[in-house]
Amino acid sequence: MERQEPDATFDDGMDSFLEKFQSQPYRGGFHESQWEEEFEKIPLFMKNSPSEIDPLENPDLACLQSIIFDEERSPEDQARTYKDEGNDYFKEKDYKKAVISYTEGLKKKCADPDLNAVLYTNRAAAQYYLGNFRSSLNDVTAARKLKPCHLKAIIRGASCHLELKNYVEAVNWCDEGLQIDATEKKLLDLRAKADKLKRTEQRDIRKAKLKEKKKQDQNEALLQAIKVRNIRLVAEAPGEDEDSASESVSELALYGLSSENPCGARLSVDEQGRLSWPVLFLYPEYAQSDLVSAFHEDSRFIDHLMVMFGETPSWDLEQKYCPDNLEVFFEDEDRAELYCVPPSSTLLQVLQHPRYFVKALTPTFLVCVGSSGFCRNYLQGKKVHQVK
Amino acid sequence: MSETSSKAEAAKLLPFLMLGERADLQAAAAQHVLALTGSGPGRTLLAGQAALLRSLVELAVAPPPAPARDAARALVNLAADPGVHKPLLEAEPGLPVRLLGCVLDPQWPWAEEAAAVLANLSREPVPCAALIEALAAAEPGESGLERLVRALCTPGYNARAPLHYLGPVLSNLSQCPATRAFLLDRNRCVVQRLLPLTQYPDSSVRRGGVVGTLRNCCFEHRHHEWLLGPEVDILPFLLLPLAGPEDFSEEEMERLPVDLQYLPPDKQREPDADIRKMLIETIMLLTATAPGRKQVRDQGAYLILRELHSWEPEPDVQVTCEKLIQVLIGDEPERGLENLLEVQVPEEVERQLQQQDHQEREQQELELDPGPQAEEAAPT
Repeated sequence: MERQEPDATFDDGMDSFLEKFQSQPYRGGFHESQWEEEFEKIPLFMKNSPSEIDPLENPDLACLQSIIFDEERSPEDQARTYKDEGNDYFKEKDYKKAVISYTEGLKKKCADPDLNAVLYTNRAAAQYYLGNFRSSLNDVTAARKLKPCHLKAIIRGASCHLELKNYVEAVNWCDEGLQIDATEKKLLDLRAKADKLKRTEQRDIRKAKLKEKKKQDQNEALLQAIKVRNIRLVAEAPGEDEDSASESVSELALYGLSSENPCGARLSVDEQGRLSWPVLFLYPEYAQSDLVSAFHEDSRFIDHLMVMFGETPSWDLEQKYCPDNLEVFFEDEDRAELYCVPPSSTLLQVLQHPRYFVKALTPTFLVCVGSSGFCRNYLQGKKVHQVK
Repeated sequence: MSETSSKAEAAKLLPFLMLGERADLQAAAAQHVLALTGSGPGRTLLAGQAALLRSLVELAVAPPPAPARDAARALVNLAADPGVHKPLLEAEPGLPVRLLGCVLDPQWPWAEEAAAVLANLSREPVPCAALIEALAAAEPGESGLERLVRALCTPGYNARAPLHYLGPVLSNLSQCPATRAFLLDRNRCVVQRLLPLTQYPDSSVRRGGVVGTLRNCCFEHRHHEWLLGPEVDILPFLLLPLAGPEDFSEEEMERLPVDLQYLPPDKQREPDADIRKMLIETIMLLTATAPGRKQVRDQGAYLILRELHSWEPEPDVQVTCEKLIQVLIGDEPERGLENLLEVQVPEEVERQLQQQDHQEREQQELELDPGPQAEEAAPT
C-alpha cells in the first residue's frame, strides 16, 4: 500500500489556529467562579449522570446517548444496552427508572430468550422493591416461560407469593426451584418461612372460627333465656315487624346482641343464669335520661332509684325528684297507653307484662314526680293502667 | 398331587407365560400362578422354578396386553414370603431395578403393585441392600432416593396409582444409615416434605410408612436439636395425629405449638393403634438427650399426651404413653445418663431387661406385621 503523504494543509491549519491566540484570548475556557459546575457538565468528568438529558443544556451527553441507543444497532445489542442501563439504575436504587429501562429493552423484542428472561427477571426485582408484587410475579412468570430453569426468577416468584400471603404457592415455587438446585439456601429459607406462616395463618383462622362459634352460642343462650321468660322483643320499627315471622325478630335480636348500644352496655347473663339488662330511664319533665348499664332482673326499681336519686340531680330545679316521690311508667306505644309500675316490682316482673315490649334490647321507663303539675299534665288524656 | 407332578404342572405353565405368547393364554397362565402364590406350598413350588420366576418378572413390567397386573400381584405374594427372596433374586437379580423403574414411572398403571413388591422385599436386609444399590445407580442428576421421595410427596405424581406403598418402602430403606443421612441432609429439604404426610387421611399404609421412617430417623440423636428446631419443627407433626378436639384453657392453648392450637371440635386422633404407638416411640426417642427433653417439654407435649392417655383404648399404647409422660414430668437423670441412647447397660442388667421385654410381649401376644399382601385371584 502507498504511504500516504501527510496533509500539508492540515499542518498549516493547526499552526494558524494556534497563532490566533497570540492576539485573541481563548474563549472556550472555564469561568473562574463556576469552573466546578462546568467541569461537571463534561460527560467524561461527570460524577453523577443527570436524570434527564436535555440536549440544549448538555449537547455532548445527548450526543453520546444517541450513539448508544442508535436505532441502527441490532435489537439484541439495544436490548443489552437497556439491560445495562436498568442494572445501573437498580444499583442506585432508582427502581422506577430501572423498570423503564428494562421495559424499553423488552420492547425491542430481540430474538435472544436468555436476554429477555433476564430483562423480565430484573424488572421483576425492581418491581419487587417498589412493592408491586403482582407485577413482579407477572414478570417472573414470563421469564420462566422463556427459561423454565431460571432459578433467580423462581426465587423472586416465591418471595412475591410470600409477600402476597399466598403461602401454599410460595412453598410450591420453592419446591419447583429445589428440584433444579436442591441445596439453594435462599429457597430452603423461603420455604421454611412460608410453611411456618401458612401454619400460623391456619391457626388464626381456627381461632377466629372458634371465637365466632362461642359468640353465637352465647347469643343463642341469651335469646333462649329471653324466650323462656316470655319477654316480648320488638325491632326499631314495631309497625313493620308485626307481620313478619318471629324468626326475623330473633335475627334482629341476635344482631342487637352482637352489637353494643352506643353506651357500650349489653344484655348479659350471670353464672346463675340470671339476666342483667341495660335500662334507660327517661325524665320527660326535664328531657333528661339515665342509663343503668346492668339492671339485674331480680333487683327492684326502688333499689336503683334509691341509688340514682340519693342526691337530687342537678337538672332537678325544684329538688323534688326523691325516691319516695317518683313514679315509674312504661308506654305501650301501640295503644298509646301508659302503665304505672310499682317501684317494689323487680325488672323481670315488669318485662314479663303482656303489654311490655322490649325495644332494641334496652327496656325503657318514664319517671316523673307523681304529685307534680307536670305529671298531671303529662298523664292528661292518656289511659293509665296500674301494674300489680 | 405329588411333588414331581406339581413341578411338572408348574413347568407346563412356563411356555404360556413367555412374552410374545397369545394374550389370553398369558392372562390365564398368570392367573393360575397368582392362585398358586396364595398358599405356602404353592409359593415354595414356584420358588424352585427359576425360569418361571424370570418370565413372571418380565410380564410384570411388560406393556399391555400383557397381564402385568396379575403378574405383579403374584410377585407381591411371593415377596411377602421371606423364604422366596433368595430364589427370586437369584432367578432375576435385576428385579429391584426393573420394578423401581415401574414405580417411578408416572405413567405406569400398576406402579402401586410394583411398590408393594418392593415394600415386601425390602423388609429383609439382602433385598433392601439390593434396592439401595439400584437407587444409587439411577441416572445422574437426580438421585434415585430423591425421585422416590418426590413420588411419595407429590400428590398426583401418578394419575393411575396412588403409590401408598412407597411409605413402607421408604421406612424399610431408612433402616440403612445412608438413607437416613440423605433424609436428614440439612442442606436439602427432604425430611420436611415427609412431615405433612403424618396426617394423610386416605391411607394408613402411607401414614404408617412415613411415621416408621421418621422413627428410624430419630435414632440419629446428633440431629435431634435440628429436628426439633425451626428448620424442621418435627414435634407438632408427631403430636397432631395424637391430639383430639380438646378444649384447653387460653393459657394452656398458648403453650402449644401453633399447629395444635384451637383444633376444631371434629378433630380425630390417628385411628391405627400401631401408628399411634410408633408416634409415641418417635417422641420418646427425641427425649433421649437433655436438650431434646427440654425442647419437647417446652413445646407442650405433656398436655397432648395427658389427654391421649385418658382417651387411649389400647392397653399397650397406653403403657407406652405412660412411659413417655414419666420421662417428661420426671426429674433430670444423674450425670453420665444424659443421653439415654448412649448409656452403657451392664450385661447382666441387659439380659434381665430383655427377659422382661420378652415376657411382656408374650403376654400381649404381639403379632408380627404380616406385610402387604395382594388379594388372591380365584383359580379357574
